[in-house]
Amino acid sequence: MPYRAPNQRAVTPQGRGRFPGFDVLEEVHRWDDVTAGVVLARLAPTTDLSFFSLAEDGAATALTDLLFAQDDEPRVPVVAMIDARLAAGETDGWHYDDMPQDAEAWRQTLAALDADAQDVAGTAFARLEHGNRAAIVQRVQDLGADAQQWRGLPAHRVWSLWTRYGCAAFYSHPWAWNEMGFPGPAYPRGYKNLGIDSREPFEVADADGTDPVTSTRTVEQFRTARSRLLDSRLEGGS
Amino acid sequence: MRGTDDSAIRSRNESAWLLPNDGSRTDHRLRADMRRYDLDEEVDLVVVGAGAGGSVLTQRLARAGWKVVCLDAGPFWDPDADWVSDERGSHTLYWTEPRQIGGADPVPLGSNNSGRGVGGSMVHFAGYVPRFHPSDFRTRTTDGVGADWPIDYADLRPYYEQIEQELPVAGQHWPWGDPHDYPHHAHPVSGNGDIFLRGAAAAGIEARVGPVAIPNGRFGNRPHCIYRGFCLQGCKVNAKASPLITHVPDALAHGAEIRSSSHVSRVLVDDTTGRATGVTYLHGGLEYRQRARMVAVAGYSIETPRLLLLSASTRFPDGLANDFDQVGRYLMVQGAPQTAGRFESEIRMYKGPPPEVSSEQFYETDPTKPYKRGWSIQTVSPLPITWSEHVTAQGHWGSVLREYMRDYVHWSTLGALCEFLPHADNRVTLADEQDRHGLPVAHFSYSKGDNDKALMQAAQKSMEAILHAAGASEVMTVQRYAHLVGGARMAARPEDGVVDADLRTFAVPNLYITDGSVLPTQGSANPALTIMSLAARAADRLAAGARSGLTEGARR
Repeated sequence: MPYRAPNQRAVTPQGRGRFPGFDVLEEVHRWDDVTAGVVLARLAPTTDLSFFSLAEDGAATALTDLLFAQDDEPRVPVVAMIDARLAAGETDGWHYDDMPQDAEAWRQTLAALDADAQDVAGTAFARLEHGNRAAIVQRVQDLGADAQQWRGLPAHRVWSLWTRYGCAAFYSHPWAWNEMGFPGPAYPRGYKNLGIDSREPFEVADADGTDPVTSTRTVEQFRTARSRLLDSRLEGGS
Repeated sequence: MRGTDDSAIRSRNESAWLLPNDGSRTDHRLRADMRRYDLDEEVDLVVVGAGAGGSVLTQRLARAGWKVVCLDAGPFWDPDADWVSDERGSHTLYWTEPRQIGGADPVPLGSNNSGRGVGGSMVHFAGYVPRFHPSDFRTRTTDGVGADWPIDYADLRPYYEQIEQELPVAGQHWPWGDPHDYPHHAHPVSGNGDIFLRGAAAAGIEARVGPVAIPNGRFGNRPHCIYRGFCLQGCKVNAKASPLITHVPDALAHGAEIRSSSHVSRVLVDDTTGRATGVTYLHGGLEYRQRARMVAVAGYSIETPRLLLLSASTRFPDGLANDFDQVGRYLMVQGAPQTAGRFESEIRMYKGPPPEVSSEQFYETDPTKPYKRGWSIQTVSPLPITWSEHVTAQGHWGSVLREYMRDYVHWSTLGALCEFLPHADNRVTLADEQDRHGLPVAHFSYSKGDNDKALMQAAQKSMEAILHAAGASEVMTVQRYAHLVGGARMAARPEDGVVDADLRTFAVPNLYITDGSVLPTQGSANPALTIMSLAARAADRLAAGARSGLTEGARR
């Protein structure tokens, strides 16, 4: 098993999670080496970006920090992972006929975030205070729910692009698996304890059990109220 | 194992015994020793696409002594070296050349319903292989919707039985459609399947375990399933069936050539005789031409119509076999809403084969309801990235998204397959955009009808009822689609379809289509078993007709 420093064990993004001490990387020695190579590569130090410009990097980082509530270290390097995909031209193999291809759609939508920020506060999206940034993002989602355009693009497709690329990056990272109790690669070891409330020796019980349903409703009501305040300054969206 | 006779299976398909039994998954010697044909040699058959339909056709006709070359755009996979036990790392299994989607209800492609490489999309299919019901073959007559097939269930039944033995399939006695047994006993169920069984029992809904294309026990040199839950990322174990291990090894042993990383760009026709003469294909940046006495296209519902349209000639100016504007039309997807329920207990749905338990109680038309036809329900088991789609579909992001995702182990998920009806305007055309070869890409337009929408709602309600009956405190649903069939459908008359009952194109006598695009309707069943069975039937008829001349034979 590769060496890890003591403070690199059971890492979760921002130190949040419900599965104390759970660390998928403890099982690396029971994975096949092709899979281990693919997963461990996600822990490699990030290099300079290849696809996004500096301005786009700023907007993309601010956007994805919001989408995944990454307000502190350690962070999953979401922007670097998206950048690598776009630089390599690795798409999902389709795009909507009322949207540009994915790479161009990313550039256009990041520029559109900056344009919104200019209208709201005369600055770049990344330089806005947190509340205004969140309100702009929430507004894109709200426009999408109403089948509206946002800066010339169908807002719900924009939302789909952001969350699709963002989630594929964030939830491929072993730290995100630690946070949610998912043990990651399972070949060749497999599973032996399949039933309800059954665990393998390497799985950890949920120590919290918070039902997300009630706790999250207030957050979302607050966000929608806040984004409505922007409507007067961003008339018409498109 | 019950009632199966290995020697009978081996006499028609020895694939499972041609795999290595030393812990590796590929017999490299078998591949290295593969017979190779010259480009100038006029082989008996060129098959385009090594997926469910193309591989079965290749294997059957190679065994019948035909010289067969099967071309596939993607790699000749080695599960040990090429596949990973990881969601994100498995993107190479999908067709990632560009495609455009549109219409009122655009259908995302990619990981959900496309394949690439030898084995096709069955490499990453969920493994579920139900038969169609007898009613599926005559929905126009019986229900006044859809289309009648030019064949009956009885025509296909012997091939269903053959393929179920060759995959082989494990499951409980099946009480729906044409009741039947499976060659292997059902697998044990995981937490997710247990929830379905409990909820269905409490809600008064019949449910059964299986049928999955994973042997329960050893089958040839295929090891037992290890229940790791990564069926959709390619089975590194060689337990879940795909043509790569169920038909290609036997094809190679009988002299077929599988030419991988070879993207067919055109079916060639002689405009004076109106017959196909071979194909052109792209490999390593160069274009090649393979001559053949017969061509079978098996590129699935997007690429098969696209290839026919790209193969236009002076004689066929609107595309091959498109004299009646039928190519690309009547393309279908199944409405596939997935409903998840939250439980206090830990379900850990990532364990075990994703589809384990199923109900076909709602499959047929219910005369008391305002809609026709129905749906099936199956367990599905989204891994983290796919699970995040369920959560973001509810509009959650930021801290809320993270909180729902942290709750993953408490959720159980069911999926429905709703029988969407064929509509002429749901079709593939050529887009104004080109791929890296300079060829126009496919545009796929899709819009739901009113019956389709009604089925989606009813299916969601039935899943919510099961999950609530099992004790779920909250449910959430994501609207999505699954599978592709149609686009070059079979019909009794050339005005209504592209191929006849033997899968021969009406327009070109030595051009066949042997994949899911020939299906006139889709039922609520996953299509893989039916696609393989149709190809096995077409092969039987071709082989039987061979002595009367390869291209003039194969008449009913």
